[in-house]
Amino acid sequence: MRRDPVVIIVVAMVVSLMLVYGIHKAHQGTGPSANSSSSLQGKLAPDFTLTSLDGKTVHLSDYRGKAVLLNFWATWCEPCKIEMPWFVEMQKEYGAQGLQILGVAMDDASPKDISDFAKQMGVNYPIVVGKDSVGDAYGGVQFLPATFYVGRDGKVVDKVFGLKGRGEIQDYIKKALASGPVTQAEK
Amino acid sequence: MKTIGRVCSSALLLTLAALAQEIPGKKAPSVTMTPLELQTVTRGKANKVELQFQVGSGFHINSNKPTLNYLIPTTLKLDAPTDIVLGVTYPVGEEASFPFAPDDKLSVYSGTFNLAVGVRPLKGMLPGKYVLRGNLRYQACDNASCYPPKQLPVEFNVKVVKGPPPPRHNPAQSPHIH
Repeated sequence: MRRDPVVIIVVAMVVSLMLVYGIHKAHQGTGPSANSSSSLQGKLAPDFTLTSLDGKTVHLSDYRGKAVLLNFWATWCEPCKIEMPWFVEMQKEYGAQGLQILGVAMDDASPKDISDFAKQMGVNYPIVVGKDSVGDAYGGVQFLPATFYVGRDGKVVDKVFGLKGRGEIQDYIKKALASGPVTQAEK
Repeated sequence: MKTIGRVCSSALLLTLAALAQEIPGKKAPSVTMTPLELQTVTRGKANKVELQFQVGSGFHINSNKPTLNYLIPTTLKLDAPTDIVLGVTYPVGEEASFPFAPDDKLSVYSGTFNLAVGVRPLKGMLPGKYVLRGNLRYQACDNASCYPPKQLPVEFNVKVVKGPPPPRHNPAQSPHIH
């Protein structure tokens, strides 16, 4: 059977376009689940023990019952700096509803330099000094910012890499807040 | 059939290229150095060796003098034999704004940039071939994310040669003709 070359060419091009479009939609879609990796999604967020800039020991599990925005960042990451003032405002806006933003600094800089930077940015949420092992537990944080949205039940709701728009971040937060029962104090 | 094969291969390559563009972080930032042929340098003199680097498409790295003090500058550290004095001159960064910080002007290198390395073998150095090694430290970002600082091994060879003999001065002659 002789196949028409034009048909084969057209089929190859259509398949290519569909593949590109499909993956593009999966990563650039408009819903809060877009741009999320599925490896951790729906699973319990790996717990960790890290030290905050004020010397306190922080476990992720300390925040069980709250929605946690876990933001991996570094002082050298310019896009991270853009998000930080938004996070400051969002912590104020959604804190009473049960949101806790937690910054994980993946820096080589000293805790003092990180602390100075955070003060300069007016950060009003805890920042812990990250470790590679924690990044690895979250699937390897190869570039920043990387943000994980953890539901009240401690499960990863979404995982987002790179700078996103403010509205998108709010959508992710709302989804994380809606992921479990609200406490009496938050009603 | 060959034409069909070529078209299908091209379609597949285009697909892969498109995927590389669309998936953030899948395409790692790369900085490479153009291989340099043996450079002849004269002992006792200041010689200039140009090293050319390429920053991967879609990425930028901070210049040697970033506009913000917390950004990591690009630096080249070279090890050399004790008889060679080295100095690096960095180009001025290109001032650019990015979607993540439209109001900030960042000083960056992107595409191709050159670093000038001053190589000055001391007068007493033995002529011959020498290898100069080092590391280019850089920190890359794309339009939405930044990558941890990296080091690119840098290596080039120089051939140290003797300088031309100093001009000979004719011995002073007596003004008197005997």
